[in-house]
Amino acid sequence: MANNKGSKPAKDKRIKNNLTAYAFCAPWFIGFICFTLFPIGFMFVVSLTDRKLNGLSKFVGLLNYKNMFSSPTFWNSLKVTIMFTIIMMVVTTIWAVILAMLLNHKQRFNGIFQFCYFLPSVIPTVALAYAFRTIFGKEAGLLNAVISIFTGKNTSINWLYDTRTVYFAVFFITLFIYNTGQMMLTFRSGLNDVPRELYEACDLDGASALRKFFSVTLPMISPIVLFNAVMGCVSALNGSFALLYPLTGESGDPNGMTQVLSLLIYKEAFSNMKVGYASALSVILFIVACVFGIGIFAVSKKTVYYEN
Amino acid sequence: MKKKQIFAVMLAATMVGGMLAGCGSGGDTSKSTSEGSSAASSGEDSSGGGKVTLAVWNEPPQDDALNMYKKCEEATGIKVDVTVIPESDYSSKLNQMVSTKDSSIDIYVIWENDIANFAQVGGILSMDDYLKDSSIKTDEFIDAVGKLSEGLGGTYGLPWCAATEILYYNQDMFDAAGIEYPDNNWSYDDYKAAAEKLTQKGDDGSTTVYGSTLPNTQTWWAGIGAAGDQVYDPSTGEMVIGDGAESFVTDMATMVENGNIPAPSSDTADLFAAGKAAMSWQGSWSIGTYGGDLDFNWEIATLPTDEIKYNTLHTGFYSINANSKNQDDAFKVIEYLMGEEGQEINSKASGNPSAIKSIAEKGAWKVESATTIENWDAMTDSLQAGVFGYTCLPSGVTNNAISEFNNAVLGQKTPKEAVDAASQYAKETIGY
Repeated sequence: MANNKGSKPAKDKRIKNNLTAYAFCAPWFIGFICFTLFPIGFMFVVSLTDRKLNGLSKFVGLLNYKNMFSSPTFWNSLKVTIMFTIIMMVVTTIWAVILAMLLNHKQRFNGIFQFCYFLPSVIPTVALAYAFRTIFGKEAGLLNAVISIFTGKNTSINWLYDTRTVYFAVFFITLFIYNTGQMMLTFRSGLNDVPRELYEACDLDGASALRKFFSVTLPMISPIVLFNAVMGCVSALNGSFALLYPLTGESGDPNGMTQVLSLLIYKEAFSNMKVGYASALSVILFIVACVFGIGIFAVSKKTVYYEN
Repeated sequence: MKKKQIFAVMLAATMVGGMLAGCGSGGDTSKSTSEGSSAASSGEDSSGGGKVTLAVWNEPPQDDALNMYKKCEEATGIKVDVTVIPESDYSSKLNQMVSTKDSSIDIYVIWENDIANFAQVGGILSMDDYLKDSSIKTDEFIDAVGKLSEGLGGTYGLPWCAATEILYYNQDMFDAAGIEYPDNNWSYDDYKAAAEKLTQKGDDGSTTVYGSTLPNTQTWWAGIGAAGDQVYDPSTGEMVIGDGAESFVTDMATMVENGNIPAPSSDTADLFAAGKAAMSWQGSWSIGTYGGDLDFNWEIATLPTDEIKYNTLHTGFYSINANSKNQDDAFKVIEYLMGEEGQEINSKASGNPSAIKSIAEKGAWKVESATTIENWDAMTDSLQAGVFGYTCLPSGVTNNAISEFNNAVLGQKTPKEAVDAASQYAKETIGY
């Protein structure tokens, strides 16, 4: 039997098929090259210059990196970024699971509860941050006024400027951002897919609610936890600017405690006009994001349960 | 398969075509703009004159009588399109425009810290040739403005006004406390003593009315300058703070601790306007904002004198985009705005005096609605004592320093640590 695998018509057909596939992929690739790959490459190149915002530029080699690594502001910012990303990811994920589980209970007006829980998430982060800035004010803040009414004492806690309360205030606000609401919806759909018979088996064995959660629910929704952890991490790294800039300013008050890298990049590029230096900082942020991504997937290999 | 291939090729072609069209449309736009402009300059515009665009950070007044751009249109026949860019992004947006040789704006009103950079990269035009035959009184500028333009190799910008910083005080609170009103010779010690006496506290010891507000991002520097620091060295472009800053920050920390001034916080309310603080250090432009709207009698005085009498001058410079297609019309507009009528309208609208002495002397800046003010000499005295200081530094450096000072006021650092940290960051940044 003649093997026509290498015959000309078959080869032509294969080439045509490949070309078709490439043509379908082309729009995305062109967009990827123009709007992702080129800017990333350009950022690396600019990080080797002393480019200013007005366009003046000179090649300086690794000087920006040398200056960056000797700057206490950078090291503080890197530390804050890592800490902020981990805590925000954990806090928002746990809160989203809690909300999803509450909504998963069969009860009346579930739709209304879901609407109410999700409502803050559709408010733009910047507007939300400005609203909370007013709520957390020291002299005229709503929260202090409410506490004063309940305690009968004049309360003037400086929520966003006191080193003891600033993290509490900031992470509390992260519970209301878009990403948390989105996580809640995905968790809810995941919870609905957990087989009922597993819970029935647990009931027969007399397992407690906590045991059911850790032995059945959590393993079954672990792929969604992984997905949300990755999304939460990306959101914390990229979206923290929109939240923190209106709340604590470009210097990350108080005492640089909230100065994540995205804030420092903005400050260096647009307030100090040091675009080259800001690009070097962006390279570090890019590496941090990669490390977080790789780290999460490495951990997930051991902890995520896939049914198929 | 054939259909699929055709569809794929069409999709890819559409994508590429769309992108090319997108790139091309920019060129079309600039072409049409330039055509429109040239048509306008050649008198084909329906208004009979050309058209220029002007970038500024504050909205023009709604009242046409106080809108200098509208009046300029009537006087010159040139249409003035005002592009308002929010103050927080103003400098960075202009820098990006200069960097990309953008020609959509003909006149930039630029800040003190940008004029030298823009002149250096050729982003703005030297107006010397225009000024030879102009009626603008460049030899009558207040001294500080003249000094700021030295070393640029030409006149690249003309100051649209000269704003200063002054003390606002609540006369009713001074009367109630039996304290004499501040005058233009008030010392810093007088200020501190008055702030203490004017502070009112509740039964639980918390402050209900502050003696003064905390200095804002502008007036922190007035306090530091008055305490003896140079703040800004024009010869090196560096921030120069030390003992003066340490002393002023220490005083502010003590006053916060004693409840005489509020601690730095996320509050955005104006405590002086709300009647919750007896005194406030602010820019002169607040006179126009307060006008007759406050519920109490208020007055102004110069900022108190410590080691020296000091406050920071503020202005913006009219400058012509070097890539503008309408440079002649742009200068005609600037000539009007810098002339007697333009400056007078600007003063009436903003409450800021003209930087041209002979025009400022006529007093159009005395805001009519601020009926309680009698001490208008406070403005002229402040102008005389004023210097271009922190406004010539990058805003990232000055904002960072204010954050450090706030840290010290809140007890998170010592004043010395805060001043050292601010100086260190300035060194890392300036001269980059």
